[in-house]
Amino acid sequence: MTHTAPAHDAHHATKPPPTGFRRLTAPGWIRAIWMSALFWALGAGIVCLLRWVAGWDPVWDWLPITVVAFLTMLPLGFLSGIGAFDYWVYYALGYPSREEDHSGHGARSWRDYFRVNTDHKVIGVQYVATTFFFFVIGGLLAMLVRAELAQPGLQVTDAQGYNGFFTVHATLMIFLFIIPAFAGLANYVVPLMLGAPDMAFPRLNALSFWLLPIAGLMFVSAFFVPGGGPNSGWTCYAPLCEHNTFGNVFFNMGVQWAGASSIMTALNFLVTIITMRAPGMTFWRMPLLVWANFTTSLLVVLATPFIAASQFFVMFDRVIGMDFFNIHEGGYVLGYQHIFWFYSHPAVYIMMLPGFGIISEVISVMARKPIFGYRLMALSLLAILVLGFSVWAHHMFISGMASYLRVPMMITTLLIAVPTGIKIFSWLATLWEGRIHFTTPMLWALGFVSMFVIGGLSGIYLGAVPIDIHTSDTYFVVAHIHYVLFGGAFFTIMAGVYYWFPKMTGRMYDERLGRLHFWTTFVSFNLTFFPMHLIGTQGMPRRVSDYAPEFANWNLFISISSFALGASILIFFYNMIHSWRYGELASGNPWNAMTLEWQVTSPPPLFNFDEIPQVVGNPYEYGVPGARHALLNGARQHELEEVPR
Amino acid sequence: MRRGVVWQLLLFTAIAGVITTLMALYPHWLPATASEQADRIGDVFWFVTIICAAIFAIVAAVLAYSLWTFRAPRDDNFETDGAPIHGHTGIEIVWTAVPFALVTAIGIYSAIVLGKNDKVGENPLRIDVTAQQFAWSFKYPQHQNLAATTLRLPVNRVVRFHFTALDVLHSFWVPEFSQKQDTVPGIDTWLTVTPNKTGKFPVVCTELCGLGHAVMRSTVIVMEERAWRRWVAGAARQAGGGGGGGAEAGKAIFAQNGCGACHTYEPAGSNGKVGPDLDKLSEFAEDAGQPVEEFTRNSIVDPNDYVEKGFPPNVMPPFESLSDQQLDSLVAFLTEPKGAS
Repeated sequence: MTHTAPAHDAHHATKPPPTGFRRLTAPGWIRAIWMSALFWALGAGIVCLLRWVAGWDPVWDWLPITVVAFLTMLPLGFLSGIGAFDYWVYYALGYPSREEDHSGHGARSWRDYFRVNTDHKVIGVQYVATTFFFFVIGGLLAMLVRAELAQPGLQVTDAQGYNGFFTVHATLMIFLFIIPAFAGLANYVVPLMLGAPDMAFPRLNALSFWLLPIAGLMFVSAFFVPGGGPNSGWTCYAPLCEHNTFGNVFFNMGVQWAGASSIMTALNFLVTIITMRAPGMTFWRMPLLVWANFTTSLLVVLATPFIAASQFFVMFDRVIGMDFFNIHEGGYVLGYQHIFWFYSHPAVYIMMLPGFGIISEVISVMARKPIFGYRLMALSLLAILVLGFSVWAHHMFISGMASYLRVPMMITTLLIAVPTGIKIFSWLATLWEGRIHFTTPMLWALGFVSMFVIGGLSGIYLGAVPIDIHTSDTYFVVAHIHYVLFGGAFFTIMAGVYYWFPKMTGRMYDERLGRLHFWTTFVSFNLTFFPMHLIGTQGMPRRVSDYAPEFANWNLFISISSFALGASILIFFYNMIHSWRYGELASGNPWNAMTLEWQVTSPPPLFNFDEIPQVVGNPYEYGVPGARHALLNGARQHELEEVPR
Repeated sequence: MRRGVVWQLLLFTAIAGVITTLMALYPHWLPATASEQADRIGDVFWFVTIICAAIFAIVAAVLAYSLWTFRAPRDDNFETDGAPIHGHTGIEIVWTAVPFALVTAIGIYSAIVLGKNDKVGENPLRIDVTAQQFAWSFKYPQHQNLAATTLRLPVNRVVRFHFTALDVLHSFWVPEFSQKQDTVPGIDTWLTVTPNKTGKFPVVCTELCGLGHAVMRSTVIVMEERAWRRWVAGAARQAGGGGGGGAEAGKAIFAQNGCGACHTYEPAGSNGKVGPDLDKLSEFAEDAGQPVEEFTRNSIVDPNDYVEKGFPPNVMPPFESLSDQQLDSLVAFLTEPKGAS
């Protein structure tokens, strides 16, 4: 992919690649390798030094704390080597700050995607590609889970293998796919939608991306840890995870890196959205995707430190003998769940709200209508944000917490259905009297609306305490989260990827393959997950490698459907890769949309806009005669379609 | 508005309503209930189902109708737009207020049922439940602390469970009773159940508790009051009368501590697969290079001291709570010559 900004290329030309000894010291993969080793040795050195000072014998011992030292130092070495800290280190050490030549900005060849790059568009693509890499691993783990569950008894793996599969499946899908995939799409789109040349902190943006593969590799490599991979579920409940395999420490540490990435990105979004809006882009003129990422980022910065704390607590309990959750030393087991869910319930909205934003964009454009009740749509996001912090204990109705907490938590939980309902009804009303185009992104958006209704309604069941007491920790919950996170979050990611594919790559995807992908996924998704409601209410608990024979038929049916679901993803990858290379060239605005990202070339110029646009109206004024969202480049706008590529 | 739109919408809603009603009624969504609490929870379930089915039918109908009626012509290449409708305050108030009223109704009904389900009433039967990896054991403190690994309850009497967890979180669930409660180390938790049907039901652990989680099962047998009293009297006599040690008592200890959930051992009739097969105990002792009896005793109180190849450490909890006499009996039971009992 090349960028089309000939005017810039002259003075943004890349420097000649370093030669000789400089190849070892220039930021990049070579330096990343030796600096990783160096920092690894540093970590080991610190541990040995402390043991020697304290007079311990032997000075070297293979203890959990040693491994934690590596899991901390090695990634720092990698980040330093690849160049994520270069500018700040130069600055802090008092070197003259280097002239900003933008050599780390924008991509001129595929190699630039494997470097520290400060261009939000490159980072967006890096994010999306990385998340789909881990999505494949997480998906294969789900296939292994279903293979084991196809029949009662143990066939494919043993209990340790099975617990590892479902734990890492959920972990990768949540921390390495859904959350960062949204961050990636928003990274690409939000600055464009705001009329900004980039994010507010491009170097921080690059750093937050490079933290992500570190977290992912930590989760995956945990399988190869002596003793076995993480096997306590993605919730990693204390005290089980403190006694379980050593792989759980890799989980604890991986969450720290993924969480740090999340927090940095969210701060970046907040500052970008607050300070980098183009002239005239008031809050009430922002596209709903921007609103969605604004509220999501607020959730992330407020909530994520809590999961970081919860993972530190269980890790410290194990590696340095603290007793947060050790009842024999006055620990409080339920404390873990309160802290964990104080993040992990808002996390459900972190995994939902950006998707709401994508769906608002797609439905408005594809139905050629203004969003119905725009302000209420934005306000309902804020309502979800506020209510989202007051419902965490609905994950704990049967946990043994004080029983009087259950009714208030039930009421807030049920109330969250109101703003969510507003969003669903408003999308439906947006379709009314529209001119609906059944393009692939629209199919995913409509699929999302219908599936999310099911996921939301099963959430009402779980919100009502008496029903939750029966269904909690059963397959009903598994069905519910997959309707929300697969039928919800995944469908919206798909809608977003197809919708912005022309913008990101400059080429159109194959529409027929896209529709085929949607329909195969839609059908096999429902065949896989709908029956789970039934076996759950009938009595099948979750997280079991073996089950009562009465559930055998349904489980076989579900497993076969899930393999079809897994296979349907292959159509997507073929479509994406093939179209990126050979697809029909896309114009700047193939959907004839009003938001700003479509008013520039596909892909956009290096700094997005030749001149900062002037925003003059709302972003969804379809059907309003003469309405404009923004004025760009004066009279030159008509040239957009003919920009040479 | 187009002409006849209301009638068409109603038609779509009726079709969607019939489909969702069939979906709600045809499969057996809930297991056959066997407790008063389950009956009440079932009522909430159907109350919520009626509301949710109605909402789903309306949403599905409006969606289907819109997609059918408002599709763009094939040759329209994003050039023409729909009607510029920006909102409608009245309708937005309606779809905020109506769901608000509905969820409030669900909340109130749920709170009432919750209050009724937790009520203990007079003279409940108290059961002390101990959960550990990966076994349930039950005690009847009102009946000479009678201990059992199969739970037997009289029908139509309020039962108050008190839970203790020895190691990690577990969760007590009998699907037919609908009631469920986590057992938490360091915290006393409790649950009320009033069985109202006789029969045999599974006790299921629903909170991930380690490698043997899937096999942490037991059985509850709900009996007629008379039969239950006979059983209590008989079991209490047996427990009180025995007193002796030896392999016979060891068999009971093996059962009470749930060893069979994880271990296969033919004399006990167990076939657990989580831990090593105890029929091969002498071979393991040979591998460990210890005399069988010493090896067995040591493995019970300190399982991590020697872990058989192919099995992960830290799975079996140390059974330090057994008295010396109990330990002697258990070791005798495990090491007695095959075919002797």
